[in-house]
Amino acid sequence: MSATADTDNSELTGTDTSVARIPQPDPITNKDLMKSWFGWWWANEVSHTFDRMLAPAFCFGLIPTLQKLYKDHDELAKAFQRHLLFFNTQATWGGGTLTGITISLEEARAKALANGEEPISEDMINNTKVGLMGPLAGIGDSIDSGTLQYIFIAIFLPFAKQGSFLGALLPFICFAGLTFTYGYYFTKMGYALGRSAAKEIMAGGRMAGIIDGLGVLGLYMMGILAGQYINIKSYLKFSISGKVFDINAILNQILPGLLPLLAVVLLYWYFQKQGLKITRGLIYLTLVLIVLSAFYII
Amino acid sequence: MHVTLSAWQALLIAIWVALVESRILGTMTLTMRFSPLMTGMVVGFVMGDIRQAMIVTAAIQLVYMGFVAPGGALPAEPAIGAAIAVPVALLGHMSPQGAIAIAVPVALLGSYLYQFRFFLNTFALKPMDKYAQEANARGLKFAIIVIPTLISFLLFIPLMFIALYFGAPVISGLVAQIEHGTLIHILNSVGGGLAALGIAIIMQVIGKKRLLPFFFLAYFMSVAFAKLKINMTIYAIFGVIFAILYVMLNNKNSETNH
Repeated sequence: MSATADTDNSELTGTDTSVARIPQPDPITNKDLMKSWFGWWWANEVSHTFDRMLAPAFCFGLIPTLQKLYKDHDELAKAFQRHLLFFNTQATWGGGTLTGITISLEEARAKALANGEEPISEDMINNTKVGLMGPLAGIGDSIDSGTLQYIFIAIFLPFAKQGSFLGALLPFICFAGLTFTYGYYFTKMGYALGRSAAKEIMAGGRMAGIIDGLGVLGLYMMGILAGQYINIKSYLKFSISGKVFDINAILNQILPGLLPLLAVVLLYWYFQKQGLKITRGLIYLTLVLIVLSAFYII
Repeated sequence: MHVTLSAWQALLIAIWVALVESRILGTMTLTMRFSPLMTGMVVGFVMGDIRQAMIVTAAIQLVYMGFVAPGGALPAEPAIGAAIAVPVALLGHMSPQGAIAIAVPVALLGSYLYQFRFFLNTFALKPMDKYAQEANARGLKFAIIVIPTLISFLLFIPLMFIALYFGAPVISGLVAQIEHGTLIHILNSVGGGLAALGIAIIMQVIGKKRLLPFFFLAYFMSVAFAKLKINMTIYAIFGVIFAILYVMLNNKNSETNH
């Protein structure tokens, strides 16, 4: 498929070593924030995949803003690539806030690169997103789709019961209108918050400590997500002279959650050895899962 | 009992379902997908009986009050259920309760279709890596919006059209037949396992091997506490505290070393 794309993806894991100057970025306006928020809001679930989840939509929203920030071909390509990596959050509380924060960090990075200063690293940007996406999604899911949506539906359901189309239209308009509006405010808030944080980080020389802290939070959140999202268990059962052996029960006695962990560790080990070859990892994993499940081993 | 629609009516409803399930109308499709109400309204409009359609849909809505989709996958697709059940109820003059009986199994099948969409996207969206590497914004936009929309339309329109045109009883029978079949089992297993990939990618990207114990700590916390159904925010608060403690202790160590 794309062997070249694979080799270039591996560059993402490296840190910024060379500080080459790039052209000055254009200033970011409220219009840009609206464009990026709208792009994320629109593409949101359209391009949902199993391996990146909502990353393509997040990248889609950032495209016009990144084009204003990075007039340099290589830096723009790197920015696009880093925002296509696994990302999953809720649309307004998570996506809005993180769109704003990410734009502020990207802006600080672009300015520093243009001025020949030490830039905010790609690690910093990635770890901020990964660390915050889970907590914000937890808040957003329970408030937006879990509560607010059903409040509107419950309020207007009597209209539907009496046969009025308003029972469908009003909850839809109220929910969509309200969440779109405050999602934009979260974007603006995230941008303002990120700008002041970025200044403090750049001035204080505490970057290394903060990246470590975000790395802890990011890896920790990946552990929680792995425990909750990955679902692999064995369906293998066989009997020897009348006694039934249930492999899943036996595995659970040895170590609960062994199979999902094994999948992550093997993939991680593969990326460590071979570089970040996403396409191959995807194909191998899918094939293994199909074969094992076709025989009801998992 | 005559349970078919005209070809035009079937096609219009099928296109509506594709618009909702492809999510091409943006995040506002959330309510359209989680709730059968908008679909019921459209079906009523297409069939010229909004009043009865809304009454039937209101009954279906009660089944799906409070559905949430952690991680994006709903256990059922109420919009797909309503798209089949409401026309059948209107044509067959069924009670709202009878419509529920059709909507529930169809919505269940719909959730497999929705996940199959993720599966197809996973492979079909690969060109976006190439476009990103070339800093090709137009190509990226094409890969992220146009390709998945085409996939959804090719997936949902023919299936919904056939189902509506040839009748929902066929669907109910089909669901019963394949529900415990190998195909659905494979789809579930692939869907359940592929999340491992994205997580392994992020671990590689964060790239700090010495911090890996925090991954294992969190993994076994979430396995051990699974039965307690701890809220994601609580887990996140623990994570922030671990991160702060780590940075604080690290600073202290480097100060004493000086």
